[in-house]
Amino acid sequence: MGEADAIELDGAGYAVESREILAPLTLCLVERRIGIVGRNGSGKSTLARLMAGLIAPTCGSVQVNGEDIYADRAAALREVGILFQNPDHQIIFPTCGEEVAFGLAQMGVSDPKGAARAALAEHGKAHWEGRPVGELSGGQRHLLCLIAVLAMAPKRLLLDEPFAGLDIPTVRALHREIARLKQQVVLITHDPAALAGFDRVIWLEAGGIRADGPAAQVLAEFTTAMEGEDAGTDLAG
Amino acid sequence: MLALTSPVKTPYHGLRAGLKLGLLALATIVLFALGSLWGQVAGLAVVMALYALPGARFARAGVAALRPVALFAVLIAAFHVVTWTPVEGAVVVLRLVSAVALANLVTMVTPLSEMLGFLHWALAPLRALGVKTRGLELAIPLAIRFIPVLGEKGRALGESWRARSRHRRAGWRIAAPLAGLAMDDADRVAEALRARGGMAGGTGK
Amino acid sequence: MTKKINEKDLVMIALFAALIAVLGLVPKLTLASGIPITAQTLGIMLCGTVLGAKRGFLAAALFCLLVLIGLPLLAGGRGGPGVLMTPWAGFFVGFPVAAFVAGLVMEKMRGPVAVAASVAAVAGGIVALYGVALPWYMVTKPAGPLEAALVAGVPFVPGDLIKAVLAGLVTQALARARPGALLSRS
Repeated sequence: MGEADAIELDGAGYAVESREILAPLTLCLVERRIGIVGRNGSGKSTLARLMAGLIAPTCGSVQVNGEDIYADRAAALREVGILFQNPDHQIIFPTCGEEVAFGLAQMGVSDPKGAARAALAEHGKAHWEGRPVGELSGGQRHLLCLIAVLAMAPKRLLLDEPFAGLDIPTVRALHREIARLKQQVVLITHDPAALAGFDRVIWLEAGGIRADGPAAQVLAEFTTAMEGEDAGTDLAG
Repeated sequence: MLALTSPVKTPYHGLRAGLKLGLLALATIVLFALGSLWGQVAGLAVVMALYALPGARFARAGVAALRPVALFAVLIAAFHVVTWTPVEGAVVVLRLVSAVALANLVTMVTPLSEMLGFLHWALAPLRALGVKTRGLELAIPLAIRFIPVLGEKGRALGESWRARSRHRRAGWRIAAPLAGLAMDDADRVAEALRARGGMAGGTGK
Repeated sequence: MTKKINEKDLVMIALFAALIAVLGLVPKLTLASGIPITAQTLGIMLCGTVLGAKRGFLAAALFCLLVLIGLPLLAGGRGGPGVLMTPWAGFFVGFPVAAFVAGLVMEKMRGPVAVAASVAAVAGGIVALYGVALPWYMVTKPAGPLEAALVAGVPFVPGDLIKAVLAGLVTQALARARPGALLSRS
């Protein structure tokens, strides 16, 4: 354990009141672009929360770059940034400037307001600083959340089904932003197309790993299985 | 969330909600009229017997539901110990425990649907006077529906806080964004409501 | 003010009733004095400062009704007619009055939102609420004014003052995030 620059799960699982959400997993994630696919309720989001240190595993351990990111929040902020699906559930502050400054202040940046202004400017949004967050469009809210996370310069970025419900050009633009990132990226999605060209893809099913390997191979299996699967939809039951 | 529902089916379930609430009101008046310590002890004994009747599991659930009252009882007891009026203190504490236990009993054995039915019945005089009660009867299920929805949003906001913070608990800081999300929803829900009859109740406006 | 309640108002009232309930579930903070405070009265104050007197009153009243018909939404997981049985029940019964007074003050008062909302929250959540709660305690326990003040008043004042200030800040944050959101000032 404790390998440099890796997300490491050692028998890490998660259960709520003896109901297993995620079976104990042992994984070492070092690739630059990693995709996690799976159907609704397969445990993808729980895995993301474990890897970001938002929840503690109920068994085993999760370490990022050798740090216990659940216990050591200061280390977690340096190591992992996470972007969730719905920007409405992430924006906490009244104006764009304050929203971006919050994480920076938490990291102990000396001038969070100035740094936030610079981060907005870097994405060509200097004029957003005093803008009420309630006046942003859906796509703009997603971008604000992304800017807020990137401003903190985490070594890796977890994206938990980001950009759902946006139109195709907006999604493409946001994906281009992500493609440019130097950081390690873990992208969680149920859309195989978003993972083309990735180094590694993990397919989760019913809280366990169904397949893990090169993107092309795992995605082909996943797509075939999803298209063949008529009986067991999310709507059944 | 603490559920105030009975874990078992009891004979009390068969009684009508209105009857149970009426008896509760009557019993509460009696409890407040009883000034003597022995009267209150007898009152508590009756309440305990009512809890014992459906079995041990029901009684245990009843005791668990009483837990929040403990703080109040301790506060009162402490005051009466300090002022050295133990008998008066005992009367007040016993009355408090009996009255809350009895009311909890009614809550535990009366499903929400029956409470709503009772409410509809109790509002009949107002309707007879021409007051429209439809708004109220729409608002109750709406609010009940919104509670888990807002709770989930609050949870997500807290998580977003944690993801960017050194501290684990966001607490009151999510109140403003949560209120904002609630207001964002209002327009859409209001439209959906209007699309399906709204305040007019399907009678057309 | 005298306008009839429309669908939007109705939904807003139901949403804020739910908001009071959800804020009651927020993990409570404990003051230095050891007295736990929950965000539930914060929710009541917000009903007034955000929705205004009439809608704020109705939202708080709807919340009280939900508690009375048995939903365990009162801070600490209490619900059902049992909540009326403690001498402290005035703090619950007074919720709609508190929201109404807070709303009234907010509607009448000019000046910066945070200040006006804090003053409104003190007027509603402390002056009006205690104005109901203390006499209630005296009649139902029964007790004299000194006991009521000592057991049901003084211990809660520091927490409620903090919440009034928070209500001011939260109202201001809401107004800045969503200009025009304050129905109390439109």
